[in-house]
Amino acid sequence: MVDTARPLHVPQAPVERPQNPFPWGKVITYTILMGGTLLAILPFLWMISSSLMTNGEIAIGRLIPSQPLISNYPDAWNRANFAQFMWNSLRITAISITGTLVFCIPAAYAFARMKFIGKNFLFTVMISTLMIPEIATFIPNFLTVVWLGRLGQNLCGDACAWVNNWPSLTVPFMASAFSIFLLRQFFAQIPDDLWDAAQIDGAGHFRFLISVVIPLSKAPVMTIVTFSFIGSWNALLWPLLVTQSDEWRPVAVGLTKFVSSDAPGEFALQMAASVIMVVPILVLYFFTQKQFQMGISTTGLKG
Amino acid sequence: MTAYLFLLPAAVIIFTFGIFPVAFAFFVSLHEWRRFPEAYQGLDNYVRALDHLAFVLFFWLAIGALVYGLITLRRLWRMTHDDRRGLLALLPGLLNAAVWVLFFNWFFTLLPVVLDIPQRIRGQERVQGMFINELAASFQVPPVVETGTMLLLVALLAVAASVFFNRAIRIQASVELLTKATLVFVFLAVGVLTMQLTVAEIQLAIETARAAGEDLPLWSQVIFISAGIVLVIAAFVVWQRASRHFDDRKFVVWGLVAVLLLLGGYLLSAELPNALANADRDLLHGFIITVMFSVGTVPLQLAVGMGLAYLLFQDIRGKVLFRIVYFLPYITPFVATSVVFKILFSHRATSPVNNFVGLFGIPAQKWLLEPTGITRLLFGQETPDVLAGPSLALLVIMLYTVWTYIGYDAVVFLAGLGNISAELYEAARIDGASGWKVFRHITFPLLSPTTFFLSLIAIIGTFKAFTQIWIMRSPAASTSVDTMSVYIFETVRTNGNMGYGSAMAFVLFGVILLLTVFQNRIMGSRVFYG
Repeated sequence: MVDTARPLHVPQAPVERPQNPFPWGKVITYTILMGGTLLAILPFLWMISSSLMTNGEIAIGRLIPSQPLISNYPDAWNRANFAQFMWNSLRITAISITGTLVFCIPAAYAFARMKFIGKNFLFTVMISTLMIPEIATFIPNFLTVVWLGRLGQNLCGDACAWVNNWPSLTVPFMASAFSIFLLRQFFAQIPDDLWDAAQIDGAGHFRFLISVVIPLSKAPVMTIVTFSFIGSWNALLWPLLVTQSDEWRPVAVGLTKFVSSDAPGEFALQMAASVIMVVPILVLYFFTQKQFQMGISTTGLKG
Repeated sequence: MTAYLFLLPAAVIIFTFGIFPVAFAFFVSLHEWRRFPEAYQGLDNYVRALDHLAFVLFFWLAIGALVYGLITLRRLWRMTHDDRRGLLALLPGLLNAAVWVLFFNWFFTLLPVVLDIPQRIRGQERVQGMFINELAASFQVPPVVETGTMLLLVALLAVAASVFFNRAIRIQASVELLTKATLVFVFLAVGVLTMQLTVAEIQLAIETARAAGEDLPLWSQVIFISAGIVLVIAAFVVWQRASRHFDDRKFVVWGLVAVLLLLGGYLLSAELPNALANADRDLLHGFIITVMFSVGTVPLQLAVGMGLAYLLFQDIRGKVLFRIVYFLPYITPFVATSVVFKILFSHRATSPVNNFVGLFGIPAQKWLLEPTGITRLLFGQETPDVLAGPSLALLVIMLYTVWTYIGYDAVVFLAGLGNISAELYEAARIDGASGWKVFRHITFPLLSPTTFFLSLIAIIGTFKAFTQIWIMRSPAASTSVDTMSVYIFETVRTNGNMGYGSAMAFVLFGVILLLTVFQNRIMGSRVFYG
């Protein structure tokens, strides 16, 4: 990528150079960056454009629809049963995020600010679970979930089933080592003075966590929320396994099913459905992109 | 106390769905197992996947555990250099290790009984609490009670011994000594038990073959392959030593390396195909595809990501905007973008990509439906199998994968660039270094921890890749794009054979672990932390 002949600017060094007659370096830099931008968004542009075409227009390889066909969206929405899938994904995501926050925040707090026997050992064990690939655990986890479901059904009827119900789709993801790690890094940076002051006021760990630590940690908590949202919105392998009817199928499984079996040749509808699936994530991303990139760079470098 | 309460919920979930499944998967893999546990099968599932290589691998797993146990013992010996009384930790250590072994023994005696509950109460009239009653009854089954009592007795002894050790011998780091001593015996026990299992299975296989009137040269296979592996590793070690000392011995060393490599390679190439003769073809094929997938995506995506990050780090306008855009492919759901690529690269003569390549005079391709290797498409059908390379379908999936991960790599590289101190650049500028020299001698080496981390994540990522392949595979080309992960999932989904699926998943897990360790050793030593 980097050309030898090109006089590149030294990163972040003060720029005091004689003005070149023509800034070749800049031009090349911008050209490459713009080229990258184009490659990154072309598939998206085409996705939107073709979602407004007729199937015939896609088949002959047009790039722009002759007349935007908005009706593809309601068609896709109805034909793919997307109302149900979107609702499912929203429910699943909401439950997952709530669970993640309720379970991960106290755990991260304990790792960051409390002393107890076996802390290092437990932390190491927890971090090492990040190494275990999903493909190595999905079979035993499926068996566990089936068993827990039978237990639940026997105790309180079908509402407590696990498979093809919300628990199997959310509970396994409620405590992620990744979230705990990210929160711990942040909690550990909170100055001890605050804790001393809280203690003088007679607050315990719980009070301190609720009224001082959490209000201070909006950024990392937002990062966790974004990550869990995206994680549960995108998950495919596990939901494929534990959902058997549309009642709880998330939108990722719904789209897969729509593309492969419900409307195999109808590209325009497939594209419209894809756009519908992408929109919530993009909205979320544009609002939280700063936290998101922060989360990636901090854990990316230290995880 | 509060700390444990804070941890409890998260710990329960992480244990149940993160740690326990590893042991559970191994247990499942030793059985014929569809919805419920059926017969114990020993290593049969592994043999079905890898044929005789499975024996070799388990043999080495056992040897590895034993060697690691002995290494830990040596460390313990060194730690107690000043005060040999520390070696007394070995006694409580032995008891602690026994507790671990007995715990697993008890647990895996109990587990099938517990898992069987739904079977037992099936067909009976549904009464609330029946499940709980059965659960309680499971703990009272004679074998469970026996193993449980043993566990309790030894656990009591172990606790007593540990406390006694801590109280009676007041030396520093007594907890660490105890942990090490426990580890010694845990590894030795794992080694001995695995070896016992492997030897028994090998003997059984030989006996079975003999009964059928055949001669199974299993032991010689184990020895030949082991010797091959040892020689190749030895050559590697010699080479590493040699690259550290530059002197006249180098020539001799190189010769030695070459001979060792040749010998090892010869032994391996002669014996491996025999050992794998009856292995699962699709699994091996999946492994090769996974490797091609890794080799084709990781270097490219890292190089482009680093280049973009470097350019973005310059003094330019619109930094934030570029960053947001580059990140888009990574952030959007893989399912949706995979569908887009599937249609972009569809086989129709007028699909967008076919139109595009048509501008350069390239004939329309079948893309995702094309199982033929790319070298064959380029140089004609007579290219040998070995050189066929990834299929065109796999190439599209690789392109997609690179496209999605470049933005992620660039963001992490950017963070890495931000950590490099500006003074270094200043110094280089004063010395009159050119842009390329600055990159080559400052940026690149100081970025190596980031590069190392990203390559680790990326390689493991290719071994875990699932979504994009699942969406883009088609019946026409599925055999040429199914990586190990996809093949495992497909097998479990279509025929529900949990035991076999677990065995294959365990093999894949082993491959990933080995890769991580290997990469840590090779690349970790070259990472420059400044």
